[in-house]
Amino acid sequence: MFRILKKSLKTGVVTGQHPDAIQPSKPLAPEVREKAAPFKRSLTIREVDTGSCNACEMEMNALTNPVYDVERFGIHIAASPRHADALVVTGPVTVNMERALKDVYKQTPDPKLVIALGDCAINCGVFKGSYAVTGPVERHIPVDVRIPGCPPRPVEILKALADIREKQQSSGK
Amino acid sequence: MTDRLSVEQQLQAAFPTLVPDPPSGNNMMRYRLDQARLPEIARYLHGQMHGRLALLFAVDGRPIAQTYELHYLFAVGSRQPWVLLTTELAGEHRLFTSITPSIHAAQWYEREIRDLFGLIPQGHPDLRRLIRHEHWPKGTHPLKKDFSWDTVMGRQQGNYRFRHIEGEGVFEVPVGPIHAGIIEPGHFRFSVAGEPIMQLEVRHFWKHRGVEKLFEQQLLTAAVPLAERVSGDTTIGHSLAYCQAVETLLRIDVPRRARYLRSLFLELERLHNHLGDVGAICNDTAYALPHAHCSRIKERLMQLNDRLTGSRFLRGVMCVGGVARDVDTKMLAETVNELNRIETDFSELESIIVANASLTDRLETTGVLTERTAWDHGVIGVVGRASGIDQDVRRDRPFAAYDEIPVNVALYRYGDVRARMRVRMDEIHESIRLIREIRHNIPTGPITGEPSRSPHHGEWALSAVEGWRGEILYVVMTGENGQIHRCKVRDPSFVNWPAIQWAVIGNIIPDFPLINKSFNLSYAGNDL
Ligand code: SF4
Repeated sequence: MFRILKKSLKTGVVTGQHPDAIQPSKPLAPEVREKAAPFKRSLTIREVDTGSCNACEMEMNALTNPVYDVERFGIHIAASPRHADALVVTGPVTVNMERALKDVYKQTPDPKLVIALGDCAINCGVFKGSYAVTGPVERHIPVDVRIPGCPPRPVEILKALADIREKQQSSGK
Repeated sequence: MTDRLSVEQQLQAAFPTLVPDPPSGNNMMRYRLDQARLPEIARYLHGQMHGRLALLFAVDGRPIAQTYELHYLFAVGSRQPWVLLTTELAGEHRLFTSITPSIHAAQWYEREIRDLFGLIPQGHPDLRRLIRHEHWPKGTHPLKKDFSWDTVMGRQQGNYRFRHIEGEGVFEVPVGPIHAGIIEPGHFRFSVAGEPIMQLEVRHFWKHRGVEKLFEQQLLTAAVPLAERVSGDTTIGHSLAYCQAVETLLRIDVPRRARYLRSLFLELERLHNHLGDVGAICNDTAYALPHAHCSRIKERLMQLNDRLTGSRFLRGVMCVGGVARDVDTKMLAETVNELNRIETDFSELESIIVANASLTDRLETTGVLTERTAWDHGVIGVVGRASGIDQDVRRDRPFAAYDEIPVNVALYRYGDVRARMRVRMDEIHESIRLIREIRHNIPTGPITGEPSRSPHHGEWALSAVEGWRGEILYVVMTGENGQIHRCKVRDPSFVNWPAIQWAVIGNIIPDFPLINKSFNLSYAGNDL
């Protein structure tokens, strides 16, 4: 117990100890802003991997670490699409995952946002054209927000998510 | 040199008519065999000489020769040459004899060959589709040369038959492909009676992106970015293995400084992944504190990577011939200083973790993979070393700078979750020690080498790298005009996934996430 306390005291607060985003995120389209309005201050995310190389997942996971601590912005990660306001999709959509992605989309209650995370989800990246890849996410379900990068840094994801939230606040009130 | 003779001699003694082919490199014994003789010799290598089936792959040689080639690669002992058995299927012949009945480790390889090439392993006990999910049209075999890489596939109706256990009170629990956490897709089907798991069937390849076919569209020197994206968390492992294979083909002499830097990057990758895993194992027992600390330290390491190379995953660092980014003395010193601080940080955390009795209680005897089962499946890497399989490419077949900076291999025997965590903990310290050594011994000089020849059509090379999960194998074969004719990628996950089906038996479903985390295998690297 003593050791744990000592460790915690010694470590202090690490939240926010990260370099700033280099890439400025693109401003949101007005219709997306409107769509995001109902979520006000909290946004619950379900992450779906449709064939990524798993680096994008790792950066999503990094968002929950003490340094980025995404929960402080009212952003939660849900275990089921039925609890989600937004789907974050990573990777090109493989032939084997196509159906699962469509199912998840159907199971997510309206209103909902779809966020394509990483170059693969936006344009299939290095996997473009392969027989096993059916196309980018937007070929199957409507995409509202795009976060480019291979993989995007956690700060960039954080910034994009915070943008959605901010716009929600200003337009939601 | 004596080792080399001994493998050859042993084989010669058992099979007097067996003559090795002229070796393709100085680290491999090649034998060309008749279809009929192969199973017997494979069995001998596996059973009598304790050879591990490291890789089994097919090549469609049809544009030039009217044949398919099958290659069986065995690893016999430490610091011994690989043994490669090659056989041919001529003309329209589509059947080959399965070795799975006697060598269990061949099971997924043979099913993979059936799916991707349409060659049928006769006598294989399980001929269900593996990579081709049920909706793939009949006759789709993407690695055949007459299948175009950008074919748009249709869909057909079909069913996948899971293995069923029937009886009173037996339930099936399907999980996936989409899971509750932020993890990759895969399907697990449990048969349970009450709490204990009676059977687990792993069904993967949801993420099959056609990586091997994509390689075939690339030039030898241009495919590094693709190799980096085979399994994102193993960026360096995969790109290094790929580069080494190409360097063998082009006879590039990689400068010493580049080899040291390669080891540096490989160890950095091992560090951040192992730290993440130690935390995640604790987290899956609902012990959140070490998870928070570990992910904090992991983040420090990722930021260190970013400062060193401009990429948190060390992307764009590896290139054919050496490394694309140098690390100057000042940065090296800074790296070592940061790692020293991280080691102190981690050691404090480690003493908290190992002192926690309730954690130990959850981890000990959970998900035991016995040495026997591990050996039968050819299990490698962290998972293997936790089950007493003493194997590490860095020691057994030194690459990069490991011939000059020897590695102490962590080895545990219990094969439970705790052993897998301990292996990782030991390797964290070892990696930091290695990086200190690297800083101490790194020579000055150039960081890339030049090719001294161009390989001719059909030549190929094998390369092995100890990534953080385990042994990564690449076989690269040249085609026309510097194109890749075939690139076989073998991530350790492909070998270790089937073994998890045995490690969970008798455990309860709530322990499955914990066991799975302690294996922490790649879905992307497995599905390709
Ligand atoms: S965008 Fe890049 S990092 Fe993300 S899944 Fe694709 S290849 Fe991997």
